Amino acid sequence: MSPLTLIILLPLLAAVGVAFVPRSFRLLIRFTALLSTFVPMIVSLALFVMFDTAQGGVQFGQKADWVPSLGIQFYVGVDGINVCLVLLATIVAFAAACVSWEIQQREKEYYILLLLMAGGIMGAFASLDLFLFYFFHELALVPTFIMIGVWGRGADKNYATFKITLYLSLGALIALIGLIALYQNSGLRTFDMIELARQLKERPLSTSTQQFIFPWLMFGFGILVSLWPFHTWAPLGYGAAPTAVSMLHAGVLKKFGLYGLIRVALPMLPEGAASWVHWLVALSLGNIIYCGFVAMRQKDLNLLIGNSSVAHMGFAFLGIASFNVLGVTGAVVVMVAHGLLAALSFGLTGYLYQTAKTLEMDRLGGLLRGMPFVGTVSIMAMMAGCGLPGFANFVGEAMVFFGIWKVYPMATVAACWGALVIGAVYMLRAVRVVWHGASAPIGDAGTVAWVDAPHWWRRLPYLLLLSFLILFGAIPRLLTDKIQPEVARLLPVQKQLPVPSLAVKSSPSESPKPFSPAPLAAVAVSDSIFQHPGEARHRTERNDP
Amino acid sequence: MMRAGLEHYLVVSFLLFSLGLLGVVARRNLLVVYMSLELMLNAANLALVAMSRFNGNLDGQVLVFFIITVAAAEVAVGLALIVALYRRRQSAHVEDLASLKL
Amino acid sequence: MMLQHIAWIVLFAPLAAAALIALATRRDDRLSAQISIAASAVAFAGSLILFLAFDRFELAWSWLNVGPLKVDLGFKFDALSGLMLLVVTGVGTAIHVYSFGYMQGDRSFARFFASMSLFMFSMLGIVVSNNLAQMFVFWELVGVSSYLLIGFWYERPAAADASKKAFIANRVGDFGFLLGILMVWGLLGTVRFDELEARLRTDPGAMGAAATVAGLLLFCGAVGKSAQFPLHVWLPDAMEGPTPVSALIHAATMVAAGVFMLCRVFFLLNVPDSSALPVIAWIGGGTGLLAALIAVQQDDIKRILAYSTLSQLGMMVMAVGLGGPGPAMYHLVTHAFFKALLFLGAGSVIHAMHHEQDIWKMGRLSQRLPVTCKTFLIGALALCGVPPFSGFYSKDAILAQGFEHNTWLFLLAVFTAWLTTFYMSRLVIVAFFGGPKSSGAEEAHESPGIMTSPLIFLAVPSVVAGIAGIPGRLSTQFGAAAEGAHGPAGFAALFEPFSHSPLPAFLGLLVFMLGVAAACSFYWGAKEDPLPSKLGWFARAMKDRFYFDEIYSALVRLTQETIATAAAWFDRWILSGLMVRGAHGTTELVGRALRLAQTGNLQTYALLLAFGVAWMLFYALVAR
Repeated sequence: MSPLTLIILLPLLAAVGVAFVPRSFRLLIRFTALLSTFVPMIVSLALFVMFDTAQGGVQFGQKADWVPSLGIQFYVGVDGINVCLVLLATIVAFAAACVSWEIQQREKEYYILLLLMAGGIMGAFASLDLFLFYFFHELALVPTFIMIGVWGRGADKNYATFKITLYLSLGALIALIGLIALYQNSGLRTFDMIELARQLKERPLSTSTQQFIFPWLMFGFGILVSLWPFHTWAPLGYGAAPTAVSMLHAGVLKKFGLYGLIRVALPMLPEGAASWVHWLVALSLGNIIYCGFVAMRQKDLNLLIGNSSVAHMGFAFLGIASFNVLGVTGAVVVMVAHGLLAALSFGLTGYLYQTAKTLEMDRLGGLLRGMPFVGTVSIMAMMAGCGLPGFANFVGEAMVFFGIWKVYPMATVAACWGALVIGAVYMLRAVRVVWHGASAPIGDAGTVAWVDAPHWWRRLPYLLLLSFLILFGAIPRLLTDKIQPEVARLLPVQKQLPVPSLAVKSSPSESPKPFSPAPLAAVAVSDSIFQHPGEARHRTERNDP
Repeated sequence: MMRAGLEHYLVVSFLLFSLGLLGVVARRNLLVVYMSLELMLNAANLALVAMSRFNGNLDGQVLVFFIITVAAAEVAVGLALIVALYRRRQSAHVEDLASLKL
Repeated sequence: MMLQHIAWIVLFAPLAAAALIALATRRDDRLSAQISIAASAVAFAGSLILFLAFDRFELAWSWLNVGPLKVDLGFKFDALSGLMLLVVTGVGTAIHVYSFGYMQGDRSFARFFASMSLFMFSMLGIVVSNNLAQMFVFWELVGVSSYLLIGFWYERPAAADASKKAFIANRVGDFGFLLGILMVWGLLGTVRFDELEARLRTDPGAMGAAATVAGLLLFCGAVGKSAQFPLHVWLPDAMEGPTPVSALIHAATMVAAGVFMLCRVFFLLNVPDSSALPVIAWIGGGTGLLAALIAVQQDDIKRILAYSTLSQLGMMVMAVGLGGPGPAMYHLVTHAFFKALLFLGAGSVIHAMHHEQDIWKMGRLSQRLPVTCKTFLIGALALCGVPPFSGFYSKDAILAQGFEHNTWLFLLAVFTAWLTTFYMSRLVIVAFFGGPKSSGAEEAHESPGIMTSPLIFLAVPSVVAGIAGIPGRLSTQFGAAAEGAHGPAGFAALFEPFSHSPLPAFLGLLVFMLGVAAACSFYWGAKEDPLPSKLGWFARAMKDRFYFDEIYSALVRLTQETIATAAAWFDRWILSGLMVRGAHGTTELVGRALRLAQTGNLQTYALLLAFGVAWMLFYALVAR
């Protein structure tokens, strides 16, 4: 059995198990939830470390037939891209289980749903079968809706539940239409993503078919990732959702759409993508600029963070739209970084909400003195949010900028403005209003006695997320060395990119070695990594006994 | 003497069916509506038997056996429901039972 | 281990200290401070060893390598970074020690030192960068650590606002810097300095017509960090931070980073196709004049020094723009020493005056604070450019550069020098001489030894840096052509300016005397400032900093806030309202209409069903 199967099954089995535990055994239920998310985290961490970067390809795979007549398989495995995403999913799931101690009512049902959601998320990112991939996503989505509806907060809870349910169902449906169209048109009778990508690379679909299918995927997946202007569900939904759900959804589940675009849409429909990519660029600027401005005007901290999270998705879209290894790798790094960051931010606001009973910024102020730990971590999270080096977000965004620069220079200018200035304006405003300044009395009852995460286990989820954010920010090659070869393999062989007139043609050369006055290493876009040699494409899978 | 052909059976069946439908649509009493429903079923049975006879195979007759069996079961359930409804609402009139309206 | 690898210790010791304090020792104030000071001292010692042992070397560790983007974490040691390392760690260590006394009793003592160490690390990272991307990374880190330090007393609204302002102004500059880096990378295909330089040496026209734009975009970074016009507004506000921070950020390091960066990328600016340098020169000169004018009418001792810093930075930027990174770096080094000295002296005064910063409430401090006064005087003389103090030589190098290349800028620089002497004399006369102007001034006491010893330590290079042979060391970096003036070290250097280019040197001396004379005639024994009555509205405008803050906030309100409001409105009413709720409403309306058919009457349904069946049969059987 593949360790990935273990990762997926453990939370799902635990969910079933919890269903048979009497509801009064609260500690047992909590402990089961923690353990069944902790073990996958350790396992996926081990996978991440043991992943053979030099070999690449699909590793730790497991295949079994599910619906043979349609070519549907239970096929899990990780390559350089989703090994990072599975790690992200398990970390966030564990953190989400940790912060779930705030839930007081109907704990049993809550944990069942949480574990279902976690299992679904891990499954979605570990699957290499298109059907399984979609199936696990839906499996995770349904508990999301229920949890927002039942354990959500705020006056807009019901409306938010409706909105997020409708939007995400619609998005998933549109994407499904695209996927079915892709399956039918490929005529291969297989849902195996690796196989599909390989076959479709050799014998691509006709251009008109590709142009027809791609928008379904782009908008379907786009709605799931809150592509502008289909983003309004996100801030509202995350504002109303219980903390763990915001963390899991904004952190991980949302990335399903981006992952789908990278895994499915780009490699299988390259020409369709090429003709729609202008739209993607324009809409992603909508995310970055427009949602940044909207975030400036928010009065509620969660709405601000929700909007900023939508804005960050723009960078991932932009990276995907760049259509080259640098940009798409950057997009994947943005996904991982934003996943950690979103989980961290929503976890912290959840804590703050629990303490203050409000997230209206006018009623908060000067909290840093009272809550040094939560405050410091929050400020660090906000700094990461405005793209500070040292955190993984910066690396991803910078790679996206470098990737997109030669393709869409003007869009890069706008995106840089969004990242560096607009992001700083709203994030610093939030820091200034909430954490800095003189402390303000809260509510009618006067000052609240601030509780600053007193125990190590309350701090654990935040420290965990933060340390990974810093780790990947300080040593980005942990991620990029894994992601880059796979992205290079996924991307279609480049035709000559529309190089702007500014660029110079230059010869490829080997990477400069340290200590030596290296020869002039001007590397053009058509670096050898882009034209991936065909023989490296077929890789052996390593099935565990 | 004229031999009764397939058309005659079908006309009778159609008339029975229409009468049954009229009863279902127009009568107020739930019990009578239910009886009209049985009439419609039997109209269908008649048509099936006639078809079976004139086409020279037994499929229609077999189907009729099934219908009769199912109808018996249905009557049992339906009558029980009507009795239960009457006990609860003190009425078996169709217009009193409009709780399906939103 | 090779001796070169000390480099990594130099770079990472402060980071390790910051991490250690944050994670482990933050509850122990004394230990935290000692760790931080030790790290700084280690970095200083390491830099000194490197400086003595090597001329140039380069270490690199591949930080990011994706497709065509290759970014190292490099350690580039050459004359430029070697000198800068010494300045940063040397001045930094003095400031660390001073802070141990100055910040005594603050309840976030450990946090202060952690932030200082983080700042040191970021600054060292800039200095040793071997590529543009690494420089940008540390550039941003410097921005954030200055944010933390300026906003150190975050509970004071002014400090919190100032830190925010500083960060955002820096970000605006960084925006240009990043675009500049992208552009250079797009044009030349690498971000490494040595490769870029090699590329441009073989093909000076490689950047083509875009060279000017790329150069100016890179300059944007310096505009933000070195607080040049039009982004100069953050620096005076940043005085809300603790005084050692002001010394560290505004004197020695952060603001110097912009000038340092310009010197580092000078080969990118100085290409034949580029006309970026004249723009840079004029912006520098303009900032110098503007800031000097504003400084004349400030009353807060730290603000005077802040504007003086702005003015001096403007001079350095001007020197770069005039094709003289050598003089610019020279002035940067001497300025770091004497401006840190001045700031720490001001801190000592403020400490003695119980946090009174208005110079019109001081007076006759020369008797109460003898050590502070003497060292402050040394700093002031160096700043004003009096031989043999170091400032004279570096400033003269800049003036000579101007004299050779651009007469108008030369005159502007001379006038700025006169203003400099004038406002510094005003500060010294009002604060240290004359009668005591408040009870606080009468009761002031000299600061403890831990604060005065860094003053003395810094006073030494403020005096002798001019004859220490810095230009000689730098000439290996930029070559004789870009170097400007002054080769020799030691005694020969003492009178070298007068023989090399006599006019600027004598003019510099002349404006010093004129400045002192003017200030004496106005302020000796004055109880209040006589200038406003003489200059009228102009003095008022100088005092109000030429209304830049007001203009900017109006501009921001006009543009950014309006757009944000419009976007939020659009989001709320058009997207969420009209579109989403519209779709929702339409669906609901259709639903309501269809609901009318649901009578709830069984027989209606049956009738409809019958009609439906009949209709279908009709189509199936008849209408075929």
